[in-house]
Amino acid sequence: MYSVILTELGISVFNEEKLERAFSFSNNVKEYLAVKNKEAKLNELINYLFSIQRGFVVSDESLLAILKKNNVDCQIMDDSKLEIIQSSKPQIIVDSGFASNPEDALGKLREFALGLSSSIVTEVSESPDLHIIQAINSLDEIDKIANALSSRLREWYGLHFPELDNIIDSINGYAQIVMVGKRESFTKQTFEDAGFPESKVDMLSLISSKSRGGDISDVNLSIVQSIAKQILDFHDLRKKLEDHVESEMQIIAPNLSAILGTAVGARILGRAGSLKKMAGMPASTIQVLGAEKALFRSLKTGSQPPKHGLLFQHAMVHAAPRWQRGKIARAVAAKAVIAARVDVYGEGLNETLLEKLNVRVGEIGKKYENPTEKDMRKPQSFERDGGNFGGRRREGGRFNDRRREGGDRRRDDEGRREGGRFNDRRREGGRFNDRRREGGDRRRDDEGRREGGRFNDRRREGGDRRRDDEGRREGGRFNDRRREGGRFNDRRREGGDRRRDDEGRREGGRFNDRRREGGDRRRDDEGRREGGSNYERSNSNKKRKRFGRR
Amino acid sequence: MKDQIQIKRERGLEEDNQSYFWIKSEGEQRLATENLVPGNQVYKEKLIIKKGIEYRLWDAFRSKLAASIMNDLEIFPFENKTKVLYLGASTGTTVSHISDIVGPSGIVFAVEHASRVARDFLDRVATYRKNVMPILQDARKPKEYFSVFGKVDVVYVDIAQPDQTEIAINNCEMFLKKEGYFFLVIKTRSIDVTKAPKRIVEEEIEKLKEKFDVLQTIDLHPYDKDHAMVIAKYKN
Repeated sequence: MYSVILTELGISVFNEEKLERAFSFSNNVKEYLAVKNKEAKLNELINYLFSIQRGFVVSDESLLAILKKNNVDCQIMDDSKLEIIQSSKPQIIVDSGFASNPEDALGKLREFALGLSSSIVTEVSESPDLHIIQAINSLDEIDKIANALSSRLREWYGLHFPELDNIIDSINGYAQIVMVGKRESFTKQTFEDAGFPESKVDMLSLISSKSRGGDISDVNLSIVQSIAKQILDFHDLRKKLEDHVESEMQIIAPNLSAILGTAVGARILGRAGSLKKMAGMPASTIQVLGAEKALFRSLKTGSQPPKHGLLFQHAMVHAAPRWQRGKIARAVAAKAVIAARVDVYGEGLNETLLEKLNVRVGEIGKKYENPTEKDMRKPQSFERDGGNFGGRRREGGRFNDRRREGGDRRRDDEGRREGGRFNDRRREGGRFNDRRREGGDRRRDDEGRREGGRFNDRRREGGDRRRDDEGRREGGRFNDRRREGGRFNDRRREGGDRRRDDEGRREGGRFNDRRREGGDRRRDDEGRREGGSNYERSNSNKKRKRFGRR
Repeated sequence: MKDQIQIKRERGLEEDNQSYFWIKSEGEQRLATENLVPGNQVYKEKLIIKKGIEYRLWDAFRSKLAASIMNDLEIFPFENKTKVLYLGASTGTTVSHISDIVGPSGIVFAVEHASRVARDFLDRVATYRKNVMPILQDARKPKEYFSVFGKVDVVYVDIAQPDQTEIAINNCEMFLKKEGYFFLVIKTRSIDVTKAPKRIVEEEIEKLKEKFDVLQTIDLHPYDKDHAMVIAKYKN
């Protein structure tokens, strides 16, 4: 009986126990993969097999497929024989002359494993969607950094020119003015160059001449200006990233971009892990991607499931009336997954997808034009410190949670504390007012506002500043904001515990590891909880518990 | 606390278990293994030289095997020359310590599917340790593993999948020798977030009983929350 055996180092033909002929691979990894992918030609082997003119048993299904395609009379080996081969692989390699002794065979197998593993890593790292994900994540992070830095800049330069803070909202505009220098050197031209409308320019020049602020030394000013310079640089970088994501998305995922838009599409892609993974997801998962915390809370406690996660940022969803959003999010998610599948496995732009979505959203808009009684009910509220979701335990992980979770509701608290995104402070004015108006309903409202605000921010950035200013003044929020600043710091101080904990984790690097593993939402959830146990470590010195004892 | 460590340490010596060591560091007895590749750190763990031998501290908060030892693991089948199949190698923290223990004539087949962590694993562990065989494959398809041969003495499974136990059993059937040991980390939160962790552990153990004798179940608290380690022996 002739058997054809595929090993990592080559293909050997045995007659019973005796080697007849061995075909070693010159480039192990490449040729082995070619066989596994059924792409290998193997002319030499096939010619040889023909010359023997017999039936063969083959050790590998891919190899079998190749041989069958070439009309070689062969079949797959039976399991017992396969098992023998599997357990005596190093010996077979030695017998075939691919290695000089079993140790050498082992070394070569390891070399092969390293080579193949490395090539898989390389291959995966080359996929363009991973670069998009990095780009969109950088963009979000730059937003965060620019915000924090801008708060600092306002605080510092505010010593010199406090009134400016209140008048200018745009991060970029403020930094541009700081770049000019001391307030004494401001002219109308300064403000015009920074791109402010005329009415504002007049006001600015008036105020700058009688500011309440103190003098600033040149040394201090130069540092403040360096910060401002950084912020301006960030702004440029952000713009660049935005364009980059946009153009890349159009190339790699044109259908997804058509349905979701490039930015939202890229964010969802980031959540999913890769375009391929996204294509393999059910639409319902896409719908709540970014609202994991709310989803798992719902699974656990039976509270209402989230209607949308990151999808809230989608124009169709967040522009719709509240009671329609869930339905629209569902429709969008369904089409988004199909789009992802077309992008991975199909070709070109499929325009009917967007058309159908528009039709469907139109239908929803008509059919559910008015809210039902159920829709008007106040959403349930959650215990702050009860159950699994409150309490100090979680604190350690919170900071990170926030970043991970798009649709979570409680998060906005923190957002405020940390200064949030671009224009965060502006939003606050509105929020405070709303809170007063709507009383108990606040949480749900916050959510909408939070996300809504974020979306708007983007649009607003270059846009209408004046209206916002007014809004803020009406809200009488100057003081509010101030308070917040203080609170931010307080929190940080009193949170000494928490912070140390965070650091511990970072040192351990474990949390990062976890995160990198990516993909699996459930695991994330776990990671968070593990964060909790880390926290415990610092407090209770290694408690022990076993299942039995509890 | 101190007493317990003392007892453990003595027990370790009594049983002549030279697989892992208790080393005094910063006033505490800490778990450690003898470094197979002196001078090489894997996850920024502390290296301690004692009597000319370099040891790597083994962090129970990062390695569930170490956590099991801290929580009174009774059987430790990893020793010199042991062959191990390790599913879910991740960045290789635990793998590196097992690699220390099994020594140059042992072997660890380390399976990991996610390429991101596999990158770190290759960089930090697989390249330096000659007894580690990196296998970038899905543990759901044991037939696709490359460079694996023979049966192994121990299968160690630490994967976060809802069907992790089934995957593990499949792998054991293919690669675990008779009466071989099986370490299964049950990640209750990966299996079902809605169920009580204790119940999940019971259910998963039930699945094992047909083919394994379950020897010990360890709650990994406080090192890992809602994780349990099950140690079992392959029957047939």
